[in-house]
Amino acid sequence: MAKEAQISTGLFKETFIAGLWRENPVFRLLLGMCPTLAVTAALKPALTMGLSVIFVLFCSNIVVSLMRNLLKPHLRILMFTLTIATFVTIADLFLKAFQPRMSETLGPYVPLIIVNCIIICRAEACASKNPLFVSIIDALGMGIGFTAAMCVLAGIREILSTGAVFEIPVLSLSENGGWFVPWAAMSMPVGAFITLGLLLALVNVITKK
Amino acid sequence: MLKIKHFIEQSWLLIVSSFIFGLLIAVTNAAWSPRIIQNEKDKLNNLMTGLISDANNFEIAIEALEIVGSKGKVVRTDLYKALDVNGKNIGFAFIAVGAGFADKIKLVIAVDGAFGKVAGFAVLASNETPGFGSKIKEDYYLSQFKGVPVGKIVLVKTGDAEKIDSEIVAISGATVSSEAVVKIFNTYINNIKEQLQKKGLLNKGK
Repeated sequence: MAKEAQISTGLFKETFIAGLWRENPVFRLLLGMCPTLAVTAALKPALTMGLSVIFVLFCSNIVVSLMRNLLKPHLRILMFTLTIATFVTIADLFLKAFQPRMSETLGPYVPLIIVNCIIICRAEACASKNPLFVSIIDALGMGIGFTAAMCVLAGIREILSTGAVFEIPVLSLSENGGWFVPWAAMSMPVGAFITLGLLLALVNVITKK
Repeated sequence: MLKIKHFIEQSWLLIVSSFIFGLLIAVTNAAWSPRIIQNEKDKLNNLMTGLISDANNFEIAIEALEIVGSKGKVVRTDLYKALDVNGKNIGFAFIAVGAGFADKIKLVIAVDGAFGKVAGFAVLASNETPGFGSKIKEDYYLSQFKGVPVGKIVLVKTGDAEKIDSEIVAISGATVSSEAVVKIFNTYINNIKEQLQKKGLLNKGK
């Protein structure tokens, strides 16, 4: 009995760590590239997006895991999409009601979480095959891993494009007599692609050892 | 009969959960939609107050004014009346929409009570290129419109940006966005003025 418990805590730990690093959705699986490239111009929208994804992933994994024994194989994707769409709509309404400015900044990317492959991938690969607890841990691991990756990308882009972190200025800008000239390109799509490419290369170098 | 049974067996979960999820969304929407509508109203009110600072209250003067756009398309917009503390009409404001560089630009345009001078504009929604087109939200560009006589506005590449006249100096690197704003002004402002004059809502001779 004790051994069983040990194995399961090991499993939970491994599931959690997998999402954070070994199977990080952004850096290792290259899933969910649309929000990764589109909303990482600054930290605040990236963090909001990450939290929304955690919420949706968490709820959909719970629901899918609970009904995994009732699912008909050929209707499962339909069920996944239905579940995900419900929670995304709720997240979207929440942002509109309580964070109207952020909702405007994110624009169509919140409803687009419905087609975010991380969530459907976790429903298919984990929640539909595993018990509730494992699915919850997996959702948290993957969600936090995704959010962390987004924040790294957004942090680099924000500081280089505006000289600020979380909209708080940290570098002295040239227009105020400082030394730092903001790189406008970093806040545009080109900045997202270049930063992501360099980060992926870095992650590959680290994991190659 | 057997077929129906088969279908229900296969899809009962889908049907049941559709209802449950539908209900869930309906409840959330019912709970939060007043807040969402209020947020939109607040934003518009804030922007309008920013443009006509003496205004105490805004009310709809004419609902769904019809404007013929550049391609002959008819768009509708509500015209708001700005009232000061004594209830005197001190200006008008309306939402104007036009094509920008990347996406639609939505502006709030305000004019004075006689519809003679532009009080200014604010950007309600836009998706212009950061660092270039997004500068239509900055003072250099915004202030050029404050006090411009209502009429045709032209965009020029070089000129004195500080001189208030119907020539607006474009933002360097963002000609398309600058032009888009000017175009929105030209589409809406005279059209609305004429409609107001026809309806006799403006004092003549001003």
